[in-house]
Amino acid sequence: MAVLVAAAALPLVAGQHLLTAMIVALHAAFMALAWNVAAGYAGQFSLGHSLFYGIGAYASTVLYLRLGLTPWAGMFAGAALAGVVGVLLALGVYRYNVYGIFFALVTLGAAEVAKGLADNWDFIKGPVGILLTMQYAPGDFFFLRREPYYFVALAMLVAMILISLALERSPLGQYFLAVREDEQAAEASGVNTYRYKTIAIGLSAALTAFAGSFYAQFYLYISPETVFVFEPQLTMMLGTMVGGAGTAFGPVIGAMLFSGLGEALRNLPFFENTRQVVIGSKMVYAVLLIVVLIYLPGGLITLGRRRA
Amino acid sequence: MAALLEAQSVSKRFGGLQALSNVGFTVAEGEIVGIIGPNGAGKTTLFNVVTGVYPPDSGRVVFRGADVTGAAPHRICKLGAARTFQISKPFADLTVLQTVRIGALNRIRDMAGATVKALEMLELMGLAGKRDELGRTLTVIERKRLEMARALATQPSLLLLDEVAAGLRPNEIQEMIALVRSIAAGGVSVLIIEHVLEAVMRLSGRIVVLNYGEVIAEGRPEELVDDPRVIEAYLGEAYSLA
Repeated sequence: MAVLVAAAALPLVAGQHLLTAMIVALHAAFMALAWNVAAGYAGQFSLGHSLFYGIGAYASTVLYLRLGLTPWAGMFAGAALAGVVGVLLALGVYRYNVYGIFFALVTLGAAEVAKGLADNWDFIKGPVGILLTMQYAPGDFFFLRREPYYFVALAMLVAMILISLALERSPLGQYFLAVREDEQAAEASGVNTYRYKTIAIGLSAALTAFAGSFYAQFYLYISPETVFVFEPQLTMMLGTMVGGAGTAFGPVIGAMLFSGLGEALRNLPFFENTRQVVIGSKMVYAVLLIVVLIYLPGGLITLGRRRA
Repeated sequence: MAALLEAQSVSKRFGGLQALSNVGFTVAEGEIVGIIGPNGAGKTTLFNVVTGVYPPDSGRVVFRGADVTGAAPHRICKLGAARTFQISKPFADLTVLQTVRIGALNRIRDMAGATVKALEMLELMGLAGKRDELGRTLTVIERKRLEMARALATQPSLLLLDEVAAGLRPNEIQEMIALVRSIAAGGVSVLIIEHVLEAVMRLSGRIVVLNYGEVIAEGRPEELVDDPRVIEAYLGEAYSLA
C-alpha cells in the first residue's frame, strides 16, 4: 500500500527523465508478469512471446489508423487476437506433445515467422514500420506529457499484479501449478493438462498484447524490427527469472532491477556510444542472470522469504 | 455384486516385449483386490492401461459401466478411479496442502471447500503437521502418504495403489496396512499392486497373480500360498520340484 501511494505521488517530484525511466520499468514489469502466467505458473517456457507483443502493438495501431478505432479499445482487440493466436498455437503444439526445450524452440520459431510475415506485408507497411503522430488526444490514448503515460503504466501493472494474485488463489492457478510440477501426476489428479496448458498460453498471450499496445502508444513508432524481435522476450525473461518465476511480485522486482540497471549503465562514462551501451548492458545482464540462477534459483524474492 | 472395474482380455506390447496378454480381472464394489507377480510381470503396465496412461493394443477396460479404454487419465480420475505412482511423483515445489488441494479440486470447484477437504485428508494420512512443507522435503513414507492423500482427495470410488508398502520399515508397513483398511472401510474399493507379500496377503480379499504378462492364478490369499504355479513364478521351478 505504501509503495502504491509513493508510486502515485512520484510524478509530483520526478523530472521528465526519471519519469520516462519509471514508465519503462513499469512496462517491463507488466510484460514480465504477463509471460510469468505461462512460464512461471504453468511452466510453459515460451520464447515466442514477442509474437503476442507484436500482435498487440500492430493490432491497436492498425485499427486506429485504418478504422479510427481508439487504441483504448484497440488494445482489447489486440489482446483478443493474441489470445486466439496463442490458443491455436498451443492446441497444435501440445497436440503433438511438444514440451520443454522443444516447446521453447517452436515458440521462438513462431515469433520469427511472425516477423517474416510482418516484414513482407505491405498493408502494415512491411519493414518500414508505422509512425504515429505525436498529439494530445486523451480519448485516443495520446498524450504530450509523461505523467499520463506513467499513470496508465502504473494502473496496468497494478491490474496485472491483481490478476496474478487472483490466479494464485483460484482453481485455475492450481491447475497451472500442477501442470508445471508434474503432468502425469496432474492428470492422475483429474487435471486436463492439454486444456490448461492451452489456457495458460492463451491468457498469457492476451495479457502480453496489452503491453505491445502500450509500447506503440508510448513510443509512437513500431516496426517488425522493434516488436517481433527477441528484445521484448528478453525483458520478460530476465525480470521473471531473476526476480522469481511463479510469484506475483518477483517478476516486478526483477524487471524494475533490470530497468534501473539499464538506465544506470547508459549514464556511465566508460561507454562511448549507444552500441557499446547495448553490448555492455547485455554482458552485465547475463552475468547477473547467471549469478542469481546459481545462488538463488528461486529468484531474488526468496531472499525475503528466507529471512521470514 | 456389481463389477466396479473390469478388464477384458487386455493386451499391450512394447516393441519385442509382450507386457500384457489377454489379462482379465474384475474389482467388485467394496473389494480389496491385490495384484502380485515377480519383477517385470506387467503389474505397473496393467495399472497404466487401466488409468489411461496408454491405451491397450487390444481388449477393453470398463469402469462403472462405461468403456474407458484409452480414455485420458484425467477423465478416468473424474469418473472415480484415482492412483498413486510406484515412484512417487510429489509436486516438488508445492506445499503438501497445495498438492492435496489440487486433488480435492477434482470434485470441489471452490478453493475454500477444496482446502477443507485437503486438510481432512492430511489429517487421515497423518500429514497435518506437514501441511506447509514443500513436496521435495518429504521422506519416502511421507511421499507415499502424500500420494495417497492426493488420490483420496479426488474422492474416488476405486483407489489404485502401486507399491505403497515397498521401501517401508516393518512398523511402517503395519501402519500402511491399517491405513488401507480404514480407507476401504470408508467405502472405497482398492486395487493394490504389491511386492511386500505380507501386506498384500493380509489386505486383499482376492489376489490376481501375473507372470510374463499373463494371469496365472487367481483366488483368496490362503488358496494361493500353496498354489505350485505361484510358488514357481516367485521362486523358480527347481524350488517347486524340491
